[in-house]
Amino acid sequence: MIGYISRRVLATIPVMLIVAALVFSLLYFTPGDPAAIIAGDQASAEDLARIRTALGLDRPFLTRFGEWLWNVLHGDLGTSIFTNLPVSRLIGERLEPTISLMILTLVLSLMVAVPMGVIAAWKQGSLLDRAIMGFAVMGFSVPVFVVGYLLAYIFALQLEWLPVQGYTPLAQGFWPFLQHLILSSIALGTAYVALIARVTRATMLEVLSQDYVRTAKAKGLGQRAVLFVHALKNAAVPIVTVVGIGVAVLMGGAVVTESVFAIPGLGRLIVDAILRRDYPVIQGVVLLFSLTYVVVNLVVDLLYTVLDPRIRY
Amino acid sequence: MSVVTQTDPLSQTTAAPPLPDILPPPKQRGRIMRFYVGHPAIAIGGLLIGIMVLIAVCAPLLGTVDPTALAPAKRTRPPSALYWFGTDMLGRDVYSRVIYGTRVSIVVGGAVALLASAIGMLIGLISGFTRWLDPIIMRIMDGMMSIPSVLLAIALVAFTRGSIQNVIIAITLAEVPRVARLVRGVVLSLRDQPYVEAAVTAGSRTPMIIWRHIMPNTLAPMTVQATYICASAMITEAILSFIGAGTPTTTPSWGNIMAEGRALWQVKPYIVFFPAVFLSITVLAVNLLGDGLRDALDPRLAKRL
Repeated sequence: MIGYISRRVLATIPVMLIVAALVFSLLYFTPGDPAAIIAGDQASAEDLARIRTALGLDRPFLTRFGEWLWNVLHGDLGTSIFTNLPVSRLIGERLEPTISLMILTLVLSLMVAVPMGVIAAWKQGSLLDRAIMGFAVMGFSVPVFVVGYLLAYIFALQLEWLPVQGYTPLAQGFWPFLQHLILSSIALGTAYVALIARVTRATMLEVLSQDYVRTAKAKGLGQRAVLFVHALKNAAVPIVTVVGIGVAVLMGGAVVTESVFAIPGLGRLIVDAILRRDYPVIQGVVLLFSLTYVVVNLVVDLLYTVLDPRIRY
Repeated sequence: MSVVTQTDPLSQTTAAPPLPDILPPPKQRGRIMRFYVGHPAIAIGGLLIGIMVLIAVCAPLLGTVDPTALAPAKRTRPPSALYWFGTDMLGRDVYSRVIYGTRVSIVVGGAVALLASAIGMLIGLISGFTRWLDPIIMRIMDGMMSIPSVLLAIALVAFTRGSIQNVIIAITLAEVPRVARLVRGVVLSLRDQPYVEAAVTAGSRTPMIIWRHIMPNTLAPMTVQATYICASAMITEAILSFIGAGTPTTTPSWGNIMAEGRALWQVKPYIVFFPAVFLSITVLAVNLLGDGLRDALDPRLAKRL
């Protein structure tokens, strides 16, 4: 077990290195002089030179990558071109809202999506199943900012149940914190719920046709016990997999959701950075999100052995 | 794979004698109708996409005015008989902008689906057939897939001057790894099939094997994948334009119309509402088509998802 875990953890290191290399070299995928594009059309020669030095464009690629990687490993993500502040500090200031938003969305989505998928599979072909699957297709098609505006318009502007926009830190009390995040979490979670519900239903359908489910029913177990103990437990691996993969959807969606609901998180940071062409910040945020995604999927991989003891590597 | 019939090299040389024509001519129209009735998702999705393409092509004929014409005196008019979807804060006609915006979404969705399929197919084939390159290519694809695709596209467009072309390139790059993995998977599963081994033994060259035996088998899953890529490309384009990193504001797109309406959405929600509805319906149509195609082309997959 420990051997397996350490092997799996070690195996993610090359992936992380490749991700780091890709994120670092994104700048060079684009045609033209990066410094000129960052500086904009009205830049003077000094501006160009300053940006070139700041980005290290005047030195060989591998040297720069090596240095950058070394710094990243020491928690130094470079300096923002626009504010001249360390990128790691800018990111640190914006972490709380984004983490809160993602965790709340994750929890809410799981609470809704898994029962939805289970019920749809249980009542396969019924009106309820069709309604849930219809919602799943819709949820996947309506972009996150559309859901966001719709929710904000109905619940904040028209009904005035919740604040329209903004963010209150958790330190200022749980209720105001939740009030500000709930609409954005629902908006962000819609596509995620659709994804998880679909996979849950599909996996449950497969599991429900197994012999041991028939046996469980035959020996007189209640419907709930069959569904949630016998069936869902055996459907856990694909569900957990899609929960992990779907985190990418959440991360992409968070960027937009934070813009719609004016939440001062990492998404806003990267959007502002794009408008100012503040490349070190963009690089830092993309790297952080990607590495988090790799770690999330590593955890999912490790969960497999817990959820399904038959899986041994 | 039910849709593709295998042609083995031997049947090429000894053509079967034509069958006597004793069957009644198939009622073509009836069969097509029955297909659509049996697959309502394809019918509805296809119809809606057809309408959207028509809107995109015929934009100048649909009672639109110049979507970029400024009229500061007629700012933020609510929807009326004259301005069907109202006007924005620069007095531009929102209806015309939304109608012309259809073009951007259709072009981006279509172009990304085609480009990502073609490039991904190429990479997947190379990877599947070149054993020493395979681990290298696949690790790079894994790395690219570890960067959430919206963020990858954002990072790529952030460094180009905003243009539809650059948006297409950025989204394509973000979508390629998924196609490459799919195609590679098909190649690996087919490479050891008896009929492929037979073709190898019979002396077929690799390009011929790919063209005759591998490519036809990727067609069904690729078509389904391409529709999903099209849908996700449309959403990503809208996201990029919405956060100000996509289609330049001189070209109306659903994303940038919403971006410009954002400042006023609490008082003038219609500026955001109409492009949102168009975008949602179009993406829904493409997803419906994808689901329908998946069910029709691969019944085994349909059962699983």
